[in-house]
Amino acid sequence: MSKIDRSLEKINYIKLLIFLVIFIFVTLLLISILILPNIKKYRVARGEFNQARVHKIRVQSVLKEREKELKKLRLDNWKIFAAFKHDFTKEEFLTSAKQFFNKATLKNVKHSSYTKEYDVYELNVTSTLKTPIKFYKFLDGLNHYNNIVQADFPIDLKSNGKMIYSSFKIKVYGLPKKKNKHLIKSNPN
Amino acid sequence: MVRYSFIEPKAKPLVSSFSKIWILFISFVSLLLILFGLFLLYKIHSYKIGAIKTKNDRVLLEKKINNKDDYIKYLLRQKSLGEEIYTRNTLLKNSMKNLFDLVPDKITLNRVIIKKDSLIIYGKTPTKDTFNFLLSAPLKSIFNTSNTIFYLSANGWYNFVSTNKITPTDSFNE
Repeated sequence: MSKIDRSLEKINYIKLLIFLVIFIFVTLLLISILILPNIKKYRVARGEFNQARVHKIRVQSVLKEREKELKKLRLDNWKIFAAFKHDFTKEEFLTSAKQFFNKATLKNVKHSSYTKEYDVYELNVTSTLKTPIKFYKFLDGLNHYNNIVQADFPIDLKSNGKMIYSSFKIKVYGLPKKKNKHLIKSNPN
Repeated sequence: MVRYSFIEPKAKPLVSSFSKIWILFISFVSLLLILFGLFLLYKIHSYKIGAIKTKNDRVLLEKKINNKDDYIKYLLRQKSLGEEIYTRNTLLKNSMKNLFDLVPDKITLNRVIIKKDSLIIYGKTPTKDTFNFLLSAPLKSIFNTSNTIFYLSANGWYNFVSTNKITPTDSFNE
């Protein structure tokens, strides 16, 4: 028997067949154990990820819509929101009231809360004016004032022929702040 | 030792070249398959981690949406309260304007008390009929009850007190 390696020159077909069978067996074994089950898992995992990503994109678009809505709401009604936040002071109110009345004074009546979200300060206004037109202008002016102020009943108007003396209640609505309470209490009239 | 061959003897390898090529080929293909399998495992893991992270992000975004919704509702309540108060002020102004426009020149008002559900007018009228025709009639059309008391004054005019009441649902403030 020759000791020289002539295996590449003279192919042993039996060996070739055995190796081929081993190759096919090993390949199929690895595919069936490693690849096929993992491909199924891979598809499931990828599907779940894509689904989660689509949901997230939808939620993100909803959030963007809400942010847009909030921005528009703030922009359209900035005056009302700023008026609720603005700290009420008697001095500021009286300065504004003096545009309409010859004389005006304010007196604290009570402080309460309205639907837990707002603080309401009730004040009595006494004022002197020349014509009722000034009173109408004052009521118009309340809607442009720095705070949310409601003129309330009872309204008492007395005339002596020359001047009208008025007495009425106002309600100031604000956001609950200790600071507001302090400001009103610190400026008693 | 006697040599019988002209060439040097070579040791025959234990595994032939043919077998080596096959073993290498099978090993290489197996390695590729194992690497591909490992790659799949890595991708599965990263997709799972990615899905969990995306879900967590989504939950956070949903919380943000809920917070934004609550804040929008809060601002809408604020807006409607503000608008309601502005409307009340405008209505009060219009009511007062209408009331004073209602009073004819012949009648002088001394005092007006406006409450949520009533209106009391103190004034002077030259005759009872002037009051009844020019002021009492329109007041009666607005208020549910309307009573007037007259006092004769020294100059021949009548001082009057007119008390008018309205049911709360139709009050000035509404």
